[in-house]
Amino acid sequence: MLNITRRRGERIVLGDDVFISVLEVSGQTVRLGIEAPRSVRVYREEIWLEVKRENEAAAAGAGDAKLPVDVPAPIKRDGETSRSVAVTRPDPRG
Amino acid sequence: MRLVIESPRFGRVEIDPESVIEFPDGLIGLGGSRWALLTSDPSSPFKWLHCVDDPSLSLPVCDPHRFFADFSVQVTDEDGERLGLDERTQVDVYVTVVAAERLSDFTANRRAPILVWNGHGHQVINQAPGNDLRAPLFAEVATAAAGGAS
Repeated sequence: MLNITRRRGERIVLGDDVFISVLEVSGQTVRLGIEAPRSVRVYREEIWLEVKRENEAAAAGAGDAKLPVDVPAPIKRDGETSRSVAVTRPDPRG
Repeated sequence: MRLVIESPRFGRVEIDPESVIEFPDGLIGLGGSRWALLTSDPSSPFKWLHCVDDPSLSLPVCDPHRFFADFSVQVTDEDGERLGLDERTQVDVYVTVVAAERLSDFTANRRAPILVWNGHGHQVINQAPGNDLRAPLFAEVATAAAGGAS
């Protein structure tokens, strides 16, 4: 692993278009600013890891291919399947 | 012309190329750029999201709205912008399901739903509160099982 020491206000560059800035250092906490092309997905590692594990668990399943067909799906909906999605800016400090 | 994949789970499966869903970013941590939704019984609440590029990958999914009355999806505006998604976009929503021996142990990932529209799919991080990574799909069954009433 590459180790780089940076001070507040300094940046590192990944490739030609990903910039990571050290915005603030306070005790055990570092605030980073990330500028990347829109196509680059940015996750907190723990979220990425738990979703990856859950995807793997779903793919592994109960072993066989049997899913119950006749199960109680509490909410019956016929017809409409499409939904809209809310888009919001989360708390920037979150 | 139809696509044929040799699925370890289902054997030989023919897929209509029209029904292939492009996932430019794959599923989170799993990859796979082309997937198809398979079902053997249209009335089942479950479908299989099957990878076309890697036939060893398939995941059961369901429409969360069929199971959770309070389900909603909210994405960050970065994701909205990246995916060309806004409040007017009509999407199909799926969540991955971890199947188990007993219904009471089935869970769905409400935290990272899969949105499908215009032949494209994206797995996103749901910002709406109260969306667990492992939400019991059959909460009533699970409650009864926990209470010993099975």
